[in-house]
Amino acid sequence: MLFGRRKKNPIILRDKGVVQWKYATCGYCSTGCAMEVGLDADGKAVTTRGVADAPVNRGKLCIKGITEAGILNASGRGTEPLLRAHSYDPWQSVDWNTALDRTAAQFQRIQDKYGRDAVAVVSTGQILTEEFYTLGKLVRGVIGTNNYDGNTTLCMASAVSGYKRSFGSDGPPGCYDDFSHTDCLLAFGSNLPEQHPVIYWRLKEALEQRRFPIIVVDPRVTMFAQFADIHLPITPGTDLVLLNSLCHVILEEGLADEDYIAAHTNGREDFAALVAEYDPGMAATITGIDEDTIRHVARLYAGAGAAMSIWTMGINQSTHGSDGVCAINNLNLITGNIGKPGGTSLSITGQCNAMGTREWSSCSGLPGYRALENPAHREQVGSFWGVDPAFFPEQRGRFMTDIFPAIESGQIKALWLVATNPMTSMPNTGRIRKTLEKLEFCVVQDAYADVEATQYAHVYFPASVWAEKDGCFTNTERRVNRVTPVSAPLGNSRPDLWIFNQLAKRWEQGRRMRFPESASEVFEEMKALSVGTGANGQPRMLDISGMSHDKILAQRGIQWPMRDGDETGTPRLYADGVFQFADGKAKLLALPWADNNEKPDSDFPFWLNSGRVVEHFHTRTRTGKVGNCNKFSPTAYMEMNPDAARELGVENMQYVRLVSRRGDAIVLAQLTQRVPRNMIFVPFHFHDCVNRVSLGLLDPHSRQPAFKQAAVRIERVDQAEAARLNREMRAY
Amino acid sequence: MTVQLFEPIDNARPSQSLFPLRHNEPDYALLKDNSSEELNRYGNRIALIDLVEEASSLNINGVSEKGFNPNRNKQHAFHFTADNCIGCHACESACSEKNDLPPHLSFRSVGYVEGGTYPNFVRMNISMACNHCDDPVCLKGCPTRAYTKHPEYGAVIQDPDICFGCGYCTWVCPYNAPQLDPVAGQVEKCNMCVDRLEVGLKPACVSACLGNALNFGVVENTPERREQIDTRIPGFPDPAITQPNIRFQQTRSMPRELTRTDSAPVKYRRDDSAGHYRPAVDKKAGTARLWNLARLSSRENPLVLFTLAAQAAIGLFAMLYLGALAGSGVVSTVVNSPVYPGAVLLCLGMVAFGLFMSTVHLGKPLRFYRGFNNIRHSPVAREGAGVAGFMAFASLHLLASLAQQVWVLDYLPGLAAFAGLFASAARVTGALALISAALGLYYMYRCYRIKARPFWNHHQTAFSFLGCCFYLGALGLAAVGGVALVLAGLAPAELLGWCGLLMGFGLALEGLGLYLHARDMSTAENEGAVSHYVQRTTFGKTYLARNALLALAAVGLLCAPLYVASAAGLGLWLLLALCAVSVAAVGRALFYVLVVPTTMPGAFFWKNKGFEQHARDIGLATMPQVGVVPDAH
Repeated sequence: MLFGRRKKNPIILRDKGVVQWKYATCGYCSTGCAMEVGLDADGKAVTTRGVADAPVNRGKLCIKGITEAGILNASGRGTEPLLRAHSYDPWQSVDWNTALDRTAAQFQRIQDKYGRDAVAVVSTGQILTEEFYTLGKLVRGVIGTNNYDGNTTLCMASAVSGYKRSFGSDGPPGCYDDFSHTDCLLAFGSNLPEQHPVIYWRLKEALEQRRFPIIVVDPRVTMFAQFADIHLPITPGTDLVLLNSLCHVILEEGLADEDYIAAHTNGREDFAALVAEYDPGMAATITGIDEDTIRHVARLYAGAGAAMSIWTMGINQSTHGSDGVCAINNLNLITGNIGKPGGTSLSITGQCNAMGTREWSSCSGLPGYRALENPAHREQVGSFWGVDPAFFPEQRGRFMTDIFPAIESGQIKALWLVATNPMTSMPNTGRIRKTLEKLEFCVVQDAYADVEATQYAHVYFPASVWAEKDGCFTNTERRVNRVTPVSAPLGNSRPDLWIFNQLAKRWEQGRRMRFPESASEVFEEMKALSVGTGANGQPRMLDISGMSHDKILAQRGIQWPMRDGDETGTPRLYADGVFQFADGKAKLLALPWADNNEKPDSDFPFWLNSGRVVEHFHTRTRTGKVGNCNKFSPTAYMEMNPDAARELGVENMQYVRLVSRRGDAIVLAQLTQRVPRNMIFVPFHFHDCVNRVSLGLLDPHSRQPAFKQAAVRIERVDQAEAARLNREMRAY
Repeated sequence: MTVQLFEPIDNARPSQSLFPLRHNEPDYALLKDNSSEELNRYGNRIALIDLVEEASSLNINGVSEKGFNPNRNKQHAFHFTADNCIGCHACESACSEKNDLPPHLSFRSVGYVEGGTYPNFVRMNISMACNHCDDPVCLKGCPTRAYTKHPEYGAVIQDPDICFGCGYCTWVCPYNAPQLDPVAGQVEKCNMCVDRLEVGLKPACVSACLGNALNFGVVENTPERREQIDTRIPGFPDPAITQPNIRFQQTRSMPRELTRTDSAPVKYRRDDSAGHYRPAVDKKAGTARLWNLARLSSRENPLVLFTLAAQAAIGLFAMLYLGALAGSGVVSTVVNSPVYPGAVLLCLGMVAFGLFMSTVHLGKPLRFYRGFNNIRHSPVAREGAGVAGFMAFASLHLLASLAQQVWVLDYLPGLAAFAGLFASAARVTGALALISAALGLYYMYRCYRIKARPFWNHHQTAFSFLGCCFYLGALGLAAVGGVALVLAGLAPAELLGWCGLLMGFGLALEGLGLYLHARDMSTAENEGAVSHYVQRTTFGKTYLARNALLALAAVGLLCAPLYVASAAGLGLWLLLALCAVSVAAVGRALFYVLVVPTTMPGAFFWKNKGFEQHARDIGLATMPQVGVVPDAH
């Protein structure tokens, strides 16, 4: 008897009444967590759980995955195709045929009038690989515009470009299992605990078994920086200097793996000459990291049995993002840390299928890491698809970040946006608004009708979302995993694959080609295209011929390459030291640093830094509607140093106005010593917020914008007016 | 003590009617206590079922099957490695998903404290749910007996179907564990995931943890790869209050001073001699003294009215009864006048009004009758019983008094034969009413002696309640007595003089309490000091004005016999009485709005009272996904 109660009350626990679990891979970030979606007796998706034996997440999910069932029936889902003559007209609901016919007719009219490239297609990292492949076939083989890119240009383009420049091909060489083998981990601009918490958990599990040093390079004291053994609070935009200097110390002190360099790389001489200029004393003045620490980190990294580097947007979103990636590759090449357990250059990717679009969407070339510039590739793909190879352009066209300026200046008249929201995600959204107004025709294809990009659209295609569809995602560690249709498409929405196939039929050329209806048939086409010989004379690296939808499900995801006959996939690339250039050697690149950022000055005295928070994904079209995510940051805010705030008279929880050379934005101030005195950090998820002020200078190689380096000033505002504006800006 | 573990887990499973277990549940989700201690650090038995006759089913959702967890008879506890928490919200969302919670509720919340200077900066996240305490103050406080401490796992489980939504458990819990849902009008809280425990799984939050911070097992067991089972971390209230079943590891060095990002003006300072952190005032609102009269109005307004009305009624009744008993000529005149039943009716009316207000305050007012279920433990139930007893006996007293009234006897002359009986009955019921009232008043006071609310947990509460009985009761006496005397053609000066003395005494009593309170709160090392800081800044002018009015009214009324005979004196007396009433109203409103509980630190948006209010003010709260419930009106 406890506290006088003999007869206990029965216990009632709420139960969502799950009667069936169906398999999917999480549709948010690229960690690639395998999950099961729970369906109740009515067949409604009510909850999720991690797949217990999945190699990636071992039953775990982060907040977004745990609450993901909520996105299927979230408010704002599009249920009917919509049409209007002008962006200022009200929307009319129409049937699919009308919407598709109008779209095809407008594309054809504009191409006839202004040329094939006057139509641009900007896709995403969110849809399934089979859909990417089909979209690529439609755009490259049927519509025939060379202005075709994905929004991965905003997040992963620098990693892609860097991998290609160093190794001869895209493709992250490492895997999560490397955490269990490494002796030193160096993280650049990556905040795993908050942005990829399940990958962080894998790292934490490895650390609890075996201690090894963690070094985090980040201008902000993120959770990861705080947990690091060594935190390097670097001056924004100077990673390349730090990396060159680390290599300087390693070469100077004879710590490099010269055997590996000699056997597997080219370019040592130019590279050595360049890094010789970056002695730690000079680097210290630029990076803000003292020279002793630089030397210490270099020795630690070079001295570790196996050492690995990971990075995310801190490197990629920079004017020298591609160079930064190459510099990380340099560091790992000279220490022999590529392709071995615990030694790798692993970019931590953003979107669930950023990898899928890189591999198969033909955005940057042709499917399966093929290049438009390569006549043999044009020939292979042309004959496989039944397209005259001469129909393909001989050079890659505009990147996403160059497509918008081309709309602005009139070379592009029509735009098709697929699952992307440039009205929130592009830098300098004031300019994007003016740009989109100039379109003669704009199609938005998205699962959510309230995505801000629809403001300038003439046609809206309601796409099905995530686990209403069938296909695969590829994650950060090249693991292809399955999404199965767990519930029927909402309303009259349709899977993107169906939309692409239906649109293809509106062209004579499309009717002649084969556009399989089922995802598994599409996958078989991709498998067939994945086989062949690479530039280095070896079998193609991106080979998935050994996979099938069933095998992928049985193994809870398989890492490519998996060749026909293989039992399973391959955890690491380049284990044999043979790279994808013709001579099989990687390139050590001499990477001079240019100081070209917009930096704080007396008019705009603060660095503007932006990034993610754990509870939101990208432009909040999903997480903004899931209460148990959104409530943790329901409105726009910034982190500001309290000492700087005191000087300006700004208090915690007060609204301030951010002003840059582009525009202004209203945010709530959160005062914290997480950021230095001359920097603010603004989560990028909120519409009409940080990207009204961001600059986004473009990387010369990857054309990725430098979201994280710009200058702003902070002004005090009328609190009531700011609150009213904040309320009005929050449609969700 | 050694126990046999369920290995393999699914073989031990008799059926699928309990929590549906997968054949391959991951290792981190499995409970693994091979042995346990006999006693916990507080000297309490860990094996709880030994205290009851035999193991029985928990009867979860109608399943009569008993779980096969071999440790189900033992007190379990969360273990939190504060060094590891990354603040990723996985625990909170896993909990909300398992318990199907709307956004504005959560059984587990993550807040944080931070300190240092860039880049030498530390943020420590704290994930906190219910600690299933050895001394469950929620269970003891709940008037409806909605809480049970189960001998299985030592789980403290609350039944929302019993709860009437008074929210008292949310006052007494130092950790913010019970969640008052203003939409459903009831409290809900962490249930320890007992359905998962029954099949050997750790709770949903623990299994979801991505920082390897949360763990769970038999209390006083150190989890795998952990070295510390401490009872304190910065920001966590004094464990002596409830003997909570949570243990901590926190070995990384922390800055001397840790601040909160939410609006609570609390920070935590290391006390080197004690070896842990103590709350201190964080002057977030500066030092400016403001009025903020509008903010005196709060959700607790019904309780302001209830306590004041009840205290006035008790004071008046006691003065009438005891005054007559003591042979006071003036009071006897009143008691023997035809006004007396009206005076008793006034007492009853005030209490009824107060009870009505406090019932309106409930989430589920129609369940008001459950308020006496927990007489054994709850001061709220005892307060209710006392006040209800007063109502009952005072009503009987009213009847007995009426039966002696001349105008009643005119109508019912037969009653005259029982005059003696009615006189005795009036005496007895009056005495019983007085005893009930005294008990009610005492437990009304005990209700606020809450360790988790240091601002209330002070003698001042007693001084204030008793003082109010005097000065509001005496004001009532002056009112009814004045009528009685005027009807009898007598001058009210003597009565008003006496009442002035009583009121002055009552005000002085409250003033003394306030003085001692201010003295103690100024030096307190707890949230009481924080409340006092808010009192002197946000409500600084209101506070000073109230104090000045109190002093003026006390002195003025104590001098009443000197001047009240004149017409001008009568005017002054009335003015001072008005001051006394406003002192009571403002003082009691301050009492409720000022209290800062020993709750866990919040985050910038979630569990930040400042943001919640802002979201309501600007209309963000109308979007359910903001997680803030709009004001009801």
